[in-house]
Parts: sequence; structure tokens; C-alpha cells
Amino acid sequence: MKARSVRYLIGEGLKNIWLNRMMSIASIGVLMASMLLMGIAIAFSENVDRVMSSIESQNVVMVFLEDELTDEQVQSVYEQIKSLDNINPDETTYISSNQALEGVLHEMGPEYEEYFNQYFEEGNTIMPETVRASMIDLEKYDQTVAAIENVEGVDSYNSSRDLAVILTTVRDAINTAGVWIIVLLSLIALVIISNTVRITMFNRKLEISIMKAVGATNGFIRFPFMIEGITLGVIASFLTVGVEYLLYKLAIKALDPIIKILGYNPVPFSNFMWIILLIFLALGIISGLIASIITISKYLRREGSEFSAL
Amino acid sequence: MRTINQQILSSGAAQPLIEFKGVYKTYDNGTKALSDVNLRIDKGEFVFIVGPSGSGKSTFIKLIIHEEKLDAGEILVNGFKMSSLRKKEVPLLRRTMGIVFQDFRLIPTMNVFENVAFPMHVVGASKREIRKRVSYALNLVGLGRKARNLPRELSGGEQQRVGLARALVNKPSMIIADEPTGNVDPNMAYEIVDLLAEINRRGTTVLMVTHAHQLVRDFDKRVVMIETGHIVADNAGGVF
Repeated sequence: MKARSVRYLIGEGLKNIWLNRMMSIASIGVLMASMLLMGIAIAFSENVDRVMSSIESQNVVMVFLEDELTDEQVQSVYEQIKSLDNINPDETTYISSNQALEGVLHEMGPEYEEYFNQYFEEGNTIMPETVRASMIDLEKYDQTVAAIENVEGVDSYNSSRDLAVILTTVRDAINTAGVWIIVLLSLIALVIISNTVRITMFNRKLEISIMKAVGATNGFIRFPFMIEGITLGVIASFLTVGVEYLLYKLAIKALDPIIKILGYNPVPFSNFMWIILLIFLALGIISGLIASIITISKYLRREGSEFSAL
Repeated sequence: MRTINQQILSSGAAQPLIEFKGVYKTYDNGTKALSDVNLRIDKGEFVFIVGPSGSGKSTFIKLIIHEEKLDAGEILVNGFKMSSLRKKEVPLLRRTMGIVFQDFRLIPTMNVFENVAFPMHVVGASKREIRKRVSYALNLVGLGRKARNLPRELSGGEQQRVGLARALVNKPSMIIADEPTGNVDPNMAYEIVDLLAEINRRGTTVLMVTHAHQLVRDFDKRVVMIETGHIVADNAGGVF
């Protein structure tokens, strides 16, 4: 095919998108839904990976003591924990319930401090007495945690490692569900794009019959429809990246208090923007191409009568 | 009186543009469309194809443009052997012919110029060639001033003339016109056939399928009559 023919056909393909704009919008919408889910899964994965890589390097276990312990009992539990194997006594500290509360309020910000002061009497701590235990060797994590639990007066503990396990489970569940939803939406997108192409073909039945009558090859006839399918995929890709950027920003803003408490720094969108754009482009282009090729090839095999009345 | 075919065969004339040799065509539903058709059309001829509805005229044309495949015999069109024509050669065959349709088949969203230019885009012609050839074709059919009009702004006769211009624009060796006067008024019908005759005078072979018997009688051309799938007459001078 000559270069000028290619240019002409690209123009025809783009024109089709405008002429069937309602169906084109529907196709783009369905593709975007599929891509958005994929993008959300990727964004979540990126952030979980960051959390996990930071917490896997942390060797701290926050040990919460039982309520109603006396000051002497609290001190005794503290000393017992410090003396356990694999605990670094120099980096193991005691945090009183007042100190713990002050710390949380400070993280959450002054508006929460004011809110808290309105509803809770001074001295009403709601936070437990805590021992911040530092481990020497993370390889002995499980035995050390078991030993801590056995100390009388210990109510519970909170370790970032447990959080990592929960996050991994949640991430894997979301990824699995996401994959199935994405597969389903991709199939729907294929069907929608196929219908868009079919409508275009029906509208262009006359042109196709003339094309065949004047000696156009099937490739010449097929090309504009392929351009149409690919273009819809590309438009959906870029729009989805834009929407995801906005949603990501909104999500970070909404989760700001929790993020501050956790002391976590979310992954900047620019870190994974190019990856998701490439994935979306691949998905969009492949869906568009497959749908249009299947539809036009079936049509060219079955119909396209050049001489009979249309 | 010898038929045209017999005269040509005996004179040892050059290779024909179209040749049917013992052609049979039966459709899947058992309809015998053509039986033992033998015909030769030379370069530069003007041939009317006449016959009642269902006689096989459309099948005859469809076999020439390879929209249908023959069951037996051989058809030669412009050097292409139809029985062994490969799929990728079909577009090449069709580029040697210009087709004029009964229902005009103009694209409603394109103006006259764009409609006529359309086949030239298919063959990858340059903008310069397109401008030159389309202007020539439109002037030939007398529509040079209507290049920017849309089909809905034209009369039936004008639309058919656009169809003619489109059929001509790629300089085909033959024009195949399927009932080109079927949807135009009688006066315009004569103008259309006059134009086809003029195109023929300039060297293009013309094959015209028609029901308009009076028209056929008034133009002094070769007439091939098909009935129930057989050629029953093949005479010169508008006689049938």
C-alpha cells in the first residue's frame, strides 16, 4: 500500500470515530472502566510494596500492657521484657499512656487535639501503657514474640510484620479479584468495540461495495477500521491515566489523617504513571485491533456484494 | 446471416477483451443461471445485453467481475483466466473495469468531486493526478460546475452521470453498466447512452445491460439476447 493511501485511510478511520461518536464514547467508557480497575490495583500494589519494604526492615514490637496494673507491676513487666533474649535493652523504652496519647494527637494534628479535649476529660488516657521493644536479630522474630507474650502483664502486641502479612493478604485478594474483573471487562470492551466497528461497517456498506467494485484489496478496506479500533484504545488509555491521577490525589487527601498516624509516605503517582500508561496502551491497542479485525474480516467473508442491490 | 461471434472468429481477429467458452453456472438452490454460453467481445465494442428478468443477465455480469465463480467452461477477461483467478488477483481484475450501477451508488456524505475521486484513492493516485483526472471526467459528462454539490442536490440523471464519471476516472479498458437508465427519465436515458457511446468512441469497451428495448433499437450497436441462461441472439445494428 502506498504511503498516500495509508494517509488517506488513517483520515477515514479517524473520521469514522467522529461520525459514530456515541458508540465511540461507549467503547472508550468500557475500556476506561477496565483500565481504571487495573490502574487502581497497580497503585495499591505499589504502595503495599513500599510499606512492606520499609516495615520488613523494622525491628520494633509495640507491647501493650494490661489495664489496671500498678506502677510497680508496669515497671516489673518493663524490666522482664528488657531482659529477654534477643531484646536490645538500650533501645527498649517505656511509653506511658499519657505520652502515647500525646504522640497520637500530635501526629493527627491540632484539630483532632481540640476535638479530643472537647469530649474526653483530662487524665482519661484511653491509650495503654506500652513498651517499645527493639529486637537484635529479626531471624528470631517468632521466638522473641512468643517470649514477650508469655510475660505476665502483657495484654497484646503490635508488630509491623503482622501488618505486612495482613497487607499482603489484602493485596493478593484485590489483585485476584481485580484480574477476574479486568478479564470480564476486557471481554465486554471487545464486544462493545466490535459493535462500534459493526455499526460503522453497516453505515459504510455502500462505500465498501464501491471499494470492492473498483478493485480495493481487503487490506485497504480493513485498514480504516483497524485505525478506528486502535485510536479508541489509545484515547481510553490517556483519559484513564488522567482520571486515575485525579482519583489518586483525592484518595491521598482523604486518607491524610491515617497516613500521618502511620508516618507513611505514599508513592508519588509519577513513579508508576509511565508503567500504567504503557500497560493501558497495550491493552487498548490490542483490544481495538482484535475487535476490529474480527468484525471486518467476518463481514468481508460473508457479505460485501458488489453488484447486487444493497 | 452470421452472428457477430461467427464473423469475428472466422476473420482471425486479435485476442478478445472478454471471452466465454462453454460456460455453465448453477446456483446452490439448483437454479441453472447460464448454460453453455459462448461469446466473444473485442476491444472497442459497444454491446447491449438484453433479456427478460431471470434470464441470466446479472449472472453474466457477475461472472465477468468475479462476484460469482463459474461451474464449467472458461472465461477470459482482459487477459485474466477466471477459473484459476486467485483471491489477491480479483482487485487487479476489477481495476481494469469501471462499473455503473442502476442505483447510482453515490456516497451521500461526499460531494461530486469526492465521489468521482474515490476509486483513485483506492489505487493510490497522487493529489495532482486526482485533480486532473476528476476534472476531465466531470467535464466529459457535463458536470464540471457541480463538483462541490452533494448527491442529494442533483437530479437522477445528474447522479448517474457522476456514476459514469466515477467509472471512467481510473481509465478502465471497459465500462460495465447495469441498467444505467433504470432510475432516470426517458430523455435523460438517451443522454446517458449517448455519453456511453461517446466514451466508447474514445476507445473504451462498453457492456450495457438493459430492459429498455426501444433505446437499444435506436442505437446502432451489437445486441446480445439472453433467455433462460442461453444466448438466443447476437446481432449487430440494434436488431434482436
